[in-house]
Amino acid sequence: MRTWQRHLNKLRWISLCLVFGMLVLLPFLHLYQTYIAAHAYDLLPANERQIYDSMEKLTAPFLSNPEKQLDAIKGTTWSGTLFGLKLSDPLAAVGQAAASMKVYWPFMLTVAIPILFTLVFGRFFCGWICPATFLYELNDNLGTLMRKAGLPITQRRLDGRLKYLVLGIGMVLSAAMGAVLLAAVYPPAIIGRELYYVIAIGGFGGGTLFFLMTLVFDLMVARRGFCRYLCPGGALYSLLGRYRLVRIQRDVANCNDCAKCNVVCQFGLDPLRDNFGQECNNCTACIAVCPTDALKFELKAKDAPNQGPGHLGHQYRKQQQKSEIAEAA
Amino acid sequence: MRYLRPPGAASESKFLADCIRCGKCGEVCPNRAINFFGFENGLASLDTPYIIPREQACMLCMKCGDVCPTGALQSIVREAEDIVAKVKMGKARVDMNLCLSYQGKTCGVCYRACPLQDVSIRVGYLEQPQVLDACVGCGLCERSCIQIPQAIMVIPNRKEA
Repeated sequence: MRTWQRHLNKLRWISLCLVFGMLVLLPFLHLYQTYIAAHAYDLLPANERQIYDSMEKLTAPFLSNPEKQLDAIKGTTWSGTLFGLKLSDPLAAVGQAAASMKVYWPFMLTVAIPILFTLVFGRFFCGWICPATFLYELNDNLGTLMRKAGLPITQRRLDGRLKYLVLGIGMVLSAAMGAVLLAAVYPPAIIGRELYYVIAIGGFGGGTLFFLMTLVFDLMVARRGFCRYLCPGGALYSLLGRYRLVRIQRDVANCNDCAKCNVVCQFGLDPLRDNFGQECNNCTACIAVCPTDALKFELKAKDAPNQGPGHLGHQYRKQQQKSEIAEAA
Repeated sequence: MRYLRPPGAASESKFLADCIRCGKCGEVCPNRAINFFGFENGLASLDTPYIIPREQACMLCMKCGDVCPTGALQSIVREAEDIVAKVKMGKARVDMNLCLSYQGKTCGVCYRACPLQDVSIRVGYLEQPQVLDACVGCGLCERSCIQIPQAIMVIPNRKEA
């Protein structure tokens, strides 16, 4: 029977869509709350009345007092409240500690759960939650279409350590300016914010331009380049997930050297030669694409060293024949 | 540009260092008073919350302080004593040349709009307003002033404590 893990990629897309959908929905719910608070349904213009009506329809089956109860879900992936549980991005804590030069414990507690998950699963946030990943992966699909259409797409390889430099410089600049500058260059924070600005306030902020530039960067310089080479949050998650306990591993006995995993990996990792490392964002595309179920999540603190050609591939068969001949001689 | 920080904010430099720009304060504000800076107030202020009281003033509901994860806006109980002691957004100032009551036309709208009547603002003869020391600078008086331009305005207080 084939492994259930090849369905994880679909599950991941459901998760990404849910998060992105919530980020779009929350500003509307906020508007709905303010309309209720104002007690002025009759005075609302038609478009706002439309928002009121649709949000009322959406929440009525679940909530008796939406004006109060909707406070239970607030914020973005950068920092949010989820049914009374405050959760924040670890980068927010790092940025805030750097800018204010002190540790504020109530805030540090809000990043404990994400950090714990990162210690076990590595960059799980990047692959499963990040609203920017949602758009970057669609952007990558667009890149594939563009390449098929013969349009120029560049896929350069840069040094993966560049993002640690970005994280370091961001922290130093945050400390120097006394403001959390990292928030301005971190795509998931930007997306959550900009969606709120556009829907609830009207008009884009400065972050949209920055985000569009990263999309162009991904198409014109390196595939998924921002996540791989520049994202300060990705850098922090990579560092925290360096000794992650759950990682994808190749079962050399099942591998047939088809190299589909290497082609499908948007992060340019090398599953075929057992190079996963701390960068893997658990997107599980390689597991889904593997025809022989050679790739699986395993409980392991370290990657296996290169195990050589897969046992189902012809390279391995040739090696075997050669050694048999050598033995016979 | 004359703007206020949301209630519970400390001095400007401490606020900028503590605020992580998550935007939750704006997302819970029932009065939609909290807006967010673009680049117009400098790079350090990017995406930080502000209030322009003449456009939409603070109702002192204190929800933003509750939801703020970093303590950039401190959590304050919604009671007069706590609010007077901890909220330091600014202080209202009356322009006697513009104020209708000081021109002999009884008005008193600012006094009636104030959530801390007789604590922060007092009216005398002809409803002439007098701002007291306990004014926290929520801006509801400025928002409600019927004069154009407004005869009462909040002077922001973002200095070190």
